[in-house]
Amino acid sequence: MNLEISIGDLQVRIFKLRLTNILVLMLFNSLFISAIFAQQKTRNPKSEIRNFLTCPIIRDSKTFPCWLVEYNGETYYLGQQGRSGSLFYPPQLKHQVLVEGRIKDGSRLCGGIVLEPVTISVMPELDLSCNTLLPAQDGLEPPPPIPYPENAPFADDTRNFTILFDFDSDFLSLHKTRIVGEVVRIAKVNGLKNIVIKTFRGTTLLSNGQKLIEKEEIAELRAGKLYDIFEGLGFAKEHIKLAIKTNPEKADGIIDVGKRRAEILIF
Amino acid sequence: MQRSFRIFIKNMKIKTFVLHVIFLVGLLSWVSDNENSWIQPGKGGILPAEVAFSNPNGTLGYVNVDGDINMEGHPFFEPLGTNGRACVSCHQPKDAMSVSTQSLQQRWNETQGQDPIFAAIDGSNNPKLPQQLESSHSLLLKRGLFRISLPWPVKTDNGKTIKPEFSIEVVSDPTGVNVDPELGLENGNISVFRRPRSVANMTYVMSPDPVFNIKTGTLAVTDPETGKVVGMNMMADSRHYTQKQQALDAYFGHLQGHNTLTDVQLKQILDFQNKLFMAQSHDKWGGKLVENGEPAGLGPHNMKAGKVHILANNNRDPIFHWFNNWKNKETMPQSLNAEQKDFRESVARGNDIFMFREFWIRDATHINSLGLGNPVRRSCATCHNGQMTAQDLAPGWVDLGTTTYPTWTENHLANQKSDLPIFKCTCNKNAAPHPFLGRVIYTTDPGRALISGKCIDIGSIVMQQFRGLSARAPYFVNGSAKTLHELVDYYDRRFDIKYTEQEKTDLVNFLSVL
Ligand code: HEC
Ligand code: HEC
Repeated sequence: MNLEISIGDLQVRIFKLRLTNILVLMLFNSLFISAIFAQQKTRNPKSEIRNFLTCPIIRDSKTFPCWLVEYNGETYYLGQQGRSGSLFYPPQLKHQVLVEGRIKDGSRLCGGIVLEPVTISVMPELDLSCNTLLPAQDGLEPPPPIPYPENAPFADDTRNFTILFDFDSDFLSLHKTRIVGEVVRIAKVNGLKNIVIKTFRGTTLLSNGQKLIEKEEIAELRAGKLYDIFEGLGFAKEHIKLAIKTNPEKADGIIDVGKRRAEILIF
Repeated sequence: MQRSFRIFIKNMKIKTFVLHVIFLVGLLSWVSDNENSWIQPGKGGILPAEVAFSNPNGTLGYVNVDGDINMEGHPFFEPLGTNGRACVSCHQPKDAMSVSTQSLQQRWNETQGQDPIFAAIDGSNNPKLPQQLESSHSLLLKRGLFRISLPWPVKTDNGKTIKPEFSIEVVSDPTGVNVDPELGLENGNISVFRRPRSVANMTYVMSPDPVFNIKTGTLAVTDPETGKVVGMNMMADSRHYTQKQQALDAYFGHLQGHNTLTDVQLKQILDFQNKLFMAQSHDKWGGKLVENGEPAGLGPHNMKAGKVHILANNNRDPIFHWFNNWKNKETMPQSLNAEQKDFRESVARGNDIFMFREFWIRDATHINSLGLGNPVRRSCATCHNGQMTAQDLAPGWVDLGTTTYPTWTENHLANQKSDLPIFKCTCNKNAAPHPFLGRVIYTTDPGRALISGKCIDIGSIVMQQFRGLSARAPYFVNGSAKTLHELVDYYDRRFDIKYTEQEKTDLVNFLSVL
């Protein structure tokens, strides 16, 4: 297992990882990954997977605007305009979008084949050619707004948490900071003082066979950000351990989204 | 223009009668000294618990929870520094606790430019210009802008080391200050020019969001003294996180103070700021805007009674509540004339336009880049979402484009001359670029980025409260909208909204009664 401890200019001590901690970590990682595998492998024949990079398209409608993409001559539906509490965050014109999705059942919304589940990442660099806004057209409306996620609290005996990131991003959106808040709450409830933060650098296997690897420093950025937050929320420096895996994760085009992550363990 | 000055003293109980007579005497002397109600530093007198000042669209009312304020010896009103200025110099009650260009021009004429508000340090385009010349103060006189000098490259923010993600060059600077070897970039300073912001209703402005800053995805700042999360909506770049820090900086900067403010003085200043509530109270015909508490979004008393930090970009209980009584003439007081009634109907429509008229909000960093998508079909209230003030409840910095090319308000034909300095910001290769302007950005004020050092923040300006707009033209951080009409026109252009003339008038009327 590749455990590196180095986080740029952050002043962090190098910790001796006790064997027990490493074992706990390994166990928890393998459980996590295999759980995803088990779930996705059975549900996702590869022919239904659509991973690609393209310009997003927005279509106005009588109700809410909907977000589409075109790939290999087919139009796909990603989701609709929502609010900051919504689970789906739409793409942005002027930027390409990385789509990692699965064809739901062949049904269409707003004229596009529905991808669900779908994860989108807005590519940071500008692409001014991404500029298509289509007018409303009768019959092409998205479904009614999907209710907000319930955000039920995690069980108090939870010890392992996973935060997934957008491609090349260390940004913690509302949904992700909520998980961070839960980590801190549960640590307090149980008097747990130690935290291990393990961050990763992802790779996505596109449907055209190409591989997209996240930028080199992304795992460090994710670790640095989480370190600051957990320290700010009361974990003592000497009780925060970082494990930064800078080698990119292997990609299979199926569970790549799940590997762009931070894993957090409290004990 | 009418310059009358009205005082409302309510609930005058007999036991306080004598007290009020004394206050009135104090007041009268103040009024006669300053018939235009400009408050000079160190003049003493009483600022009544309830007081009102006229402006072109009616009257602006104040309520001070602490009762009458004796301005004599009060640190907000005394010239505590070395240049004769007090806080009140630039935060004038008659100008909604900001200062209007109209007042500034009048002061210039009345004092032949000798009023301390024109002090070289920041009341002129460049302290090294001949100060007796009007042209040396053109940015202040024409646009109401004071010079704000900030360290660049920025080194720390809230105790944390900052490594800026971009470099700044001066493209052009008619003031000369940014290319001056001492005052300019070469010597580690950048000067931007900004409007003063209203110092009232501060409990709303300072009300904190929860633990996380939704704009950055990191922890919100906490007050080192209390450990509590602070609001991050003060100043155009949110560079001060507590009112104390802010007051001290104003003392050393604007007032050129050489000692410090004592704890007692700081407490007095903060108390004054936090207990003073302000909103337009009368229309231009002299009619009271609020009767029996309605409309609930108007007037200083409702401002005082309102709850802080309520997210209100919804159709249940909107930003400025409802204007139901103003929707048709039958429900308005019979005493109003026809013009007044038409006006109120227009305001009610304006409120609906503000709340519900949708358009494509696009390319605005920290709105479109924040999970809402670009573009997003929503209304003014999406960004201006806090009840009673229309500030953002989250840390309110957004790149609306008022200071960044190609949409800056300077003039919409971008290659024309600007009387403001123009900077070129170039983002480092490994930094995340500005989401809608890329890696090379032209701006007259990088805004929040001067504090955070982040490329993504270039041009992001913290929106300010909508209160007292009628008393404090011009608008936007750089004073680029001379009237509310120009402000609405900017939005119409910026987002290609295609408002009708009637819609524009309704919006303007609505903004004018806040
Ligand atoms: C020379 C004019 C001037 C003087 C004198 C002055 N200010 Fe200001 N004030 C400004 C300007 C300009 C801003 C906005 C600066 C910015 O946005 O970067 C401001 C902003 C503020 C704000 C922020 C309001 C908000 O909602 O964002 C407060 C509070 C404030 N001043 C208090 C004071 C106090 C207290 C004093 C006296 C110690 C004072 N000011 C003296 C010009 C002045
Ligand atoms: C994308 C977010 C956004 C939207 C949408 C938006 N605003 Fe603003 N607004 C801002 C920002 C940011 C500022 C501060 C800009 C500055 O000072 O340069 C601001 C400032 C203002 C001000 C205060 C000016 C002052 O000097 O005190 C008013 C009034 C205003 N907006 C009205 C409106 C109206 C009316 C609409 C709808 C047509 C609207 N806004 C839509 C972001 C927005």
